[in-house]
Amino acid sequence: MEYPSNNAEAMVDTELSYRQVTTDVLEPLFKFSKAYWAGLTLVLLGLAYGGFCIIQQLVWGLGVAGYSQPVFWGLYITTFVFWVGIGHAGTLISAVLFLFRSKWRTGVYRAAEAMTIFAVMTAALFPALHVGRMWNAYWLFPYPNQRQLWQNFKSPLMWDVFAVSTYFTVSTIFFYIGLIPDFAAIRDRTRGAISKVYAGLAIGWRGTDRQWRHYMAAYGFFAAFATPLVLSVHSVVSWDFAMAQTAGWHSTLFPPYFVAGAIFSGCAMVITLLMPLSVIFKWDKYINEWHFEHLAKMCLLTGAILTYAYVMEHFIAWYSDNPYEWGIFKYRAVGDYWWVFWIMVVCNCVIPLVWWWKKARTNYWCLWIVSIFINIGMWFERFNIIASSLAHQFDPAAWTYYLPNYIEIGVLIFSFAWFFLWFLLFVKVMPSVAIAEVKELLPPPLRTDAKEAAK
Amino acid sequence: MADINRRDFLKVLGISGTASACSIDPVTPIEQVLPYVVTPDQIVPGIATWFATQCTACSEGCGVLAKNREGRVVMLERNPEHPTNKGSLCAMGIADLQATYSPDRFEGPMIAGRRATWDQGMEATIAAVKAAKANGKRVAWLGKHRTGATAALANDVMGALGGETIRWEPLGKQALRKATKAVFGIDGIPTYTLDQAETVLSFGADFLSTWGTPEHNRHYGLGRDPDHCGFIAQFWSVEPRLSNTSVNVDIHLSAAPGTEAGVALALAKLVAEKRAYSGPASALLQGIDAEALVAASGVRMERIVELADRMASHVSVVMPGGTTTVNEVDVAIATLVLNEVAGNVGETVTFGQDSNLAGLHDYEDVAAVLADAENIGVLFLDELDIAYTTPGTAANDALLAVGQLIAFQNEPSESLTDTAIVLPPGTTLETWGDNEAVHGRHTLQQPAMTSLHDTRCTGDVLLELAKGLGIELPAVTASVRAEGDGEAIDGGPAEAVEPAPTPDSFLAYLAEWWKANVFAKTDETDFDAFWRTSVQTGGHFFSRLGKGADFGLEALPSAGAAQEGLTLGLFPHHMTFDGRHANRPWAHEVPEPVTGYVWGTWAEISPKMEADLGLEEDDTITLTTSAGSVEVAYFASPGIRDDMVAVVMGNGHDGGGRYADLTGANPVQLLTGMKYAGDTVTVAKASKTTTISSRLGNLTQDNRPINYIVKAKDIGSGKGPGGIVNLHHPPIDERLTQAGLLDMYPEPEHPTYRFAMAVDLNSCTGCAACQVACYSENNIAVVGPEQNRRGRNMGWLRLSRYWEGSGEEPDVRWQPVMCQHCSHAPCEGVCPVLATYHNLDGLNAMIYNRCVGTRYCANNCPYSARRFNYHTYDWPEPFLMMLNPEVNNRTMGVMEKCTFCIQRIREAKSDYRDHGQLVPDEALTKLLPCASACGSDSITFGNLKDPDSQVSEKFQSERAYAMLSELNTKPGVRYLARISHSEKDYGHGGGH
Repeated sequence: MEYPSNNAEAMVDTELSYRQVTTDVLEPLFKFSKAYWAGLTLVLLGLAYGGFCIIQQLVWGLGVAGYSQPVFWGLYITTFVFWVGIGHAGTLISAVLFLFRSKWRTGVYRAAEAMTIFAVMTAALFPALHVGRMWNAYWLFPYPNQRQLWQNFKSPLMWDVFAVSTYFTVSTIFFYIGLIPDFAAIRDRTRGAISKVYAGLAIGWRGTDRQWRHYMAAYGFFAAFATPLVLSVHSVVSWDFAMAQTAGWHSTLFPPYFVAGAIFSGCAMVITLLMPLSVIFKWDKYINEWHFEHLAKMCLLTGAILTYAYVMEHFIAWYSDNPYEWGIFKYRAVGDYWWVFWIMVVCNCVIPLVWWWKKARTNYWCLWIVSIFINIGMWFERFNIIASSLAHQFDPAAWTYYLPNYIEIGVLIFSFAWFFLWFLLFVKVMPSVAIAEVKELLPPPLRTDAKEAAK
Repeated sequence: MADINRRDFLKVLGISGTASACSIDPVTPIEQVLPYVVTPDQIVPGIATWFATQCTACSEGCGVLAKNREGRVVMLERNPEHPTNKGSLCAMGIADLQATYSPDRFEGPMIAGRRATWDQGMEATIAAVKAAKANGKRVAWLGKHRTGATAALANDVMGALGGETIRWEPLGKQALRKATKAVFGIDGIPTYTLDQAETVLSFGADFLSTWGTPEHNRHYGLGRDPDHCGFIAQFWSVEPRLSNTSVNVDIHLSAAPGTEAGVALALAKLVAEKRAYSGPASALLQGIDAEALVAASGVRMERIVELADRMASHVSVVMPGGTTTVNEVDVAIATLVLNEVAGNVGETVTFGQDSNLAGLHDYEDVAAVLADAENIGVLFLDELDIAYTTPGTAANDALLAVGQLIAFQNEPSESLTDTAIVLPPGTTLETWGDNEAVHGRHTLQQPAMTSLHDTRCTGDVLLELAKGLGIELPAVTASVRAEGDGEAIDGGPAEAVEPAPTPDSFLAYLAEWWKANVFAKTDETDFDAFWRTSVQTGGHFFSRLGKGADFGLEALPSAGAAQEGLTLGLFPHHMTFDGRHANRPWAHEVPEPVTGYVWGTWAEISPKMEADLGLEEDDTITLTTSAGSVEVAYFASPGIRDDMVAVVMGNGHDGGGRYADLTGANPVQLLTGMKYAGDTVTVAKASKTTTISSRLGNLTQDNRPINYIVKAKDIGSGKGPGGIVNLHHPPIDERLTQAGLLDMYPEPEHPTYRFAMAVDLNSCTGCAACQVACYSENNIAVVGPEQNRRGRNMGWLRLSRYWEGSGEEPDVRWQPVMCQHCSHAPCEGVCPVLATYHNLDGLNAMIYNRCVGTRYCANNCPYSARRFNYHTYDWPEPFLMMLNPEVNNRTMGVMEKCTFCIQRIREAKSDYRDHGQLVPDEALTKLLPCASACGSDSITFGNLKDPDSQVSEKFQSERAYAMLSELNTKPGVRYLARISHSEKDYGHGGGH
C-alpha cells in the first residue's frame, strides 16, 4: 500500500466503521494467548533474578557491584539516563506532535505515552538503587521533618528529583486525559465489576458536545504544558553531568545533545515496541509502515544532531587545548573504553544511515533491527560518557578501569523486566491505540448509516 | 473481625508497628555505655595520656610517644625529645601499633601447640634446660638485635648456662661494620650526617626508606631547603635499580651490578687528584685506572667527572651499598675510601655516636648454630623468624632437630615447630625494656597499657628461669664498652655503685642496670628523680661529639666486575621490612610508594624485559635460580637495568598470621646463600594472573600540568606566590574576581581561622609515613587484597607518583593528595542533602550520618580525594580496641575523606579557648598526624588568617601553587614545587 503522506485520511481504511475500530483495538483486552503468558513468565524471572541481586546489594552494600574508585557512578546511572531518554518520545509524540497537528501520531501515541510513563517509572528506580544507603533515599525529598533536614537546591541531583517527578506527574495526567473517552468505550463493552472500574476511570464520559469541548481544551492545555517538559527533563538530567567539573561532562553542549539523544532513543524504542504490537494484534490498519517511516525520519534527524554533537565534542576538546578535556576525548576513542565508544558510534551514527533509503525505512525487519541497534548504541553512549570520564579524571595517579559485574547486569535485567511487566499489563487493561482519535480520522458516519452506527 | 474493638485494634497496630519499625534498621550498631566501677587513677575519659617509650619495629631504637585513651594505646607518634628521630616516626614504626592488637597473638604460653599456664610453661622450660644440661647438650640463643639491660640479662643468663647468645639482623649493617673495621680499625659503623652536605652520594643505601632512621629524611629535607643553609644539596645515587631513595635523587648512575666498588674507587681517584689529597689513601689509589673502571660499569665518564668536581669543591657524604649491591663489603670499603679522600671523615662521616652493634653476629654464626642443631638441647628463639628470613631449609631442619625450641614471640611464625614452647613476652607497649641502639642514647621502654593477654616479658622469664635453675647471676655492673668510642661529655666520673642482689622482677633489674650504667655516668645525685625523668622523657641521652678516625686500610678491595647474565637482588619492603611486620594489615594496605602496589610480592623488571616476555598488566612471572623458584607479580620499572631483577622481601609467609599468609611469595627462597644480591636468575612468564594491585593509575602525569618542577637557578628571583612555577594556564586574573565575573557565589567567610596546609614537594621523599599515620588516626578501613584489586582502597591520603623521566635524571615526583578543603569546593555544591559543607574554619566538613551515598561529590572532586564505603569493613577483635575514639567509624554507603583531622583541631581550639586564646601557630604546624609523621618536614599546617604563620609564609612562596588552580576551586592546600638542578625543559601541557 502506498499512502500519500500529506493525506491524513488516506492512512486508515475508510471502510472502517467506528464499531470495528473499537472491536479491533479492544480485542487484546479480552484474549490471552500462550505467548502472553510466556512473556509474563520471562518478565517475572527477570524480576526474580534482579531482585536477588538488589537484595544482595541492600544487605552487603554497594560493594557487590563492580565500582572501582574513582568511578563512583557506573551502570546504574547509565541505565537511569537511558530510561529517562526512552521516556522522551512518548510525550514528544503525544504532546508536541499534537500541537503541530501531525496526523501520524494518532496510531502510535497511546503506546508511546505508556512507554514514556513506564520508562520514567523504571528510571526512577535507579536513583534509589544506586545510592549507598537506599533506606535513606527519601532524604532527597524536601518535606517538613523533625530532623530539621533541608536539601541543597544548588545540587543538580535535586533539580533532577524535581524534573523527573514533574515530568512523570504531567505525563501521567496527560496520558490519563487521553484515555478518558477510551475508558468509556471499554466501560460500554464490559459488564459487571470490571465495567464499574472502567466507569470510574471514565469519570462519567458520555461524549456530549459540551464534554468534548472541555475535553479538547484540557487536552490542548496539557499538551502545551507538557511540551516544555520534553525539553526540560533531559536538559536537567544532562546538567547532572554538565554542571560537574569532571572533564568530558562539563560542557554547555550537553542539554541539546541529551535532548536530541533522548528523542533519538525514544523514537527507536517506540519502533521496537510497536512493531511487534502491530504485527501480533494485526493492527496494520492503525499502525503501519507509514507511522514507522515517520518515526524513522525523526531518528534520522535526531541521529544527525547527535552525530554532530559527537563531532563537536571532540573538536571543542581539541580546539580548547585543555589537556584534561582533550585527554578524556582521546581516551574515549582509543583508550580502555574504545569498544564502548565504537559501539556507540556504529550503532548511533552509522547503522541508522540505512534509513536514508526509503526501502529500508519502510521494511519491517530493517526498521526493527536498526531500532534495536539504536537502543544499544544509546545505552553505550551514556556508559561512554559516565564511565570513561570518571575512570580518567584529572589526576592520572588516580586512574582506574571499571566494568559492571553480574550484580549490575542483574539490576539492568531487572529494569527491563520491570518495564516490560508494566507494558504487558498495559496492553491487557488499556487500549494501546487511541480509539477516539482514530475515529476522528474516519469519515464521519452519514445519516443513512446512523442505524448501523448505533448498533 | 466483628469482635475486635477500637482499643484492641490500636494495641495491635501499636505493637506491630513498633516491632516492624524496630526491626527494619539494618545498620545501627548496638552501643553500650558502661561506667567504671572503680575509676582508674590516670584515666580521665576523653583526655589522652602520652607515654614515652621506644620503637622496636626495627633495631634503630627510635623514641615514640604512645597515645593512651581510656586504657588503650591508639596511636604512636614521634618523641620530639629523642635524638634519633626527633623529626618523625617512620611508616613501619607507626604501624607497629598493630603488633599489640594483632588478632593472631598467643593469648598465653603454648606448649606443643596447646595453651598452657605460665607455671606449666616455666616448668617445661626449666625441665628442658635441666634435661639439656643432664644430657650434656648445648643451650643456645638466637634472637634479634638487642642492646641495653634486656641484652645484658640474656647474656648473663646464657653465660651462666654456658650457652651462646647469637643476635642477628637479616638487614643488619654487618657489611659496613666489616668495612669500617678494615678501613678504620673500629668495630662499629660511622654516622652519616646529611644536613651539612652539599653533595650526597648513595651506593644503593635506601637511606630515605629502610636504611637507617627517619633522621635521614629530615636531613634530606633540610639539604634541599633553599632557605635553610644557603645551598640546595644535590643527591646522587649509584645503583642498578631505582630504590625509594634513588627515585628522589637528582642524578642516578645506573652501574652494572657488581661494578659499584669500581665506580667508587674511580671517583676516589679523581677526587683525590682534584683535591690534591695526600693522605694515607693516596698511595693505595695509585694503581687505579678510573676510566677503565667507569667504562666497565656502563656509567658515562662525564658524569663521574662532574661528580668528582662537585665532591672536590663541596662538602659531601657517601653512603655504602644496600641490599641490592653485589659485593657489599667491597663497596662499603670503597665508599669509606672515597669519604676519606673527599675529606668527609670527621665532618659528615663520624664515629662516636654510632650504632651500638655489640652482640650482633654475622649469618655465619647463625649458620654454625643451625648446623650444630643435633647437639643443642634447648634453643631460645627471641623474636627472630629464622625460618622465613634464611634461604633453604637449614633453619627448618635445625629447628626440628634441636631438643627443645623455646620461642619468645607474640605471634605465630614459620619458625615455630610443633613441639615448641612459646612464651609470649607481650609487646613493646605492654612491657618494660630499654635499648642503647646508638652509643650513649639510652631509650627506656615503659608499659603504655596493660597487656591484652596473659604475657610475661622475656626479662621476667629469664629471671625466673635463673631462679628455677638456681643460677647465680653476676651482679649488675657497668657494661664494658668496646674500644674506640667517645666518652659522655656531660657525664661525671662514674660513681661506685653497690652491687645489688639479683632482683626479682625485670623492672627492678632494669632500674638496677640503669643505675649502674646510665645514672652512674651522669652528675645526678637522686636516682629516683633521674629514673622518673628518664621514664618521662623516654630515656637518657648523652650527647657525644662525632669525631674522625685514622685511615688504616692496607689494600684496596676488588673493583668487581659486571655480573654474568641476569642478576637477582632483593630489597626490603618499606613496611613489612624483612617480613617481621607482615602480619600488620596496614603494612599491606598502605601502597608501596614507588609502585603503588598493595598486598603482595612483586619483582621489578625493565620495560624491555616486559616487552620481550610479552607481559601484560595482570600477568605474573616465574623467577628461577639454582636454589628455587617463586611466582610473583611484576612492575616494569623505568629505572632498573636490563640485566637486573629486584624482588621485594617481606611477604608470602606460611604460618605467619592471617595477614602475613594472605598474599605474596618469599623471594629469600631464591637465594643460594645469605646474600641478597648476586644470584643469577631466569625470568619466564607464568600462567597465573596476579592478585596484587596498584593504587596508582598511571606511571606518568600524562603531560598534564599537575606536578611542577622549578629550576634551582630560578630560586630566589623574588617573584610572588607561584612566581616561578611554570603554569600551563595563566594565574586567574584578579580583575575578573573583583568584577564578580569569575565566581557565582561569594567567598565563604572565615572569621577566625582558615585552616590550610602547605606541602613541600621539594623535600617529600615518598616514605608513606603520612599515609600510615592517617590510617591510624582516622580509623581508616583496611579492605584487603580482593577489595583493593577492585579499586576500593580507603586511604584518605593518596601519594601520587609521577614518573617523568628515567635514565640519569630519574625525575620521579611525589604529590600527597588529600582533600584540598577548597573554598569553592566542587563537592559541596552537588550534594543533594548537604552532607558536606564549608565551615567557618575553612574546612570542608563531612556529616557522615547525613550522607545517603549518591557519590556525586566524589565524581565532582577533581582531586579524586574522596573515598566511599562500599561495604562495612570490619576489624577483627581485638583491633577494635586500637581505634581512635575521637573518630567515627563509617559504615557502608557513606562517603568519607580527609577532614584535616577536625578532631585534633577541635581539641586544640577548645584547649586554647579555655584561656581565651586562639591556637598559636606552633601548636598547629605539626598538629596533624601526617605533618607530625613527615620525616622531612614537608607538611605544614596552620591558620591562613594569621599572616605570620608558617603556612601563610609558605603560601607566599614563589614555588607555591594550587593543584589544578585553573579550576578555580580555591583549595586550602598549596604545593611547593620541587627544585631541579637539571637543565631539562620542564614545560607542561601541549599545543603552546
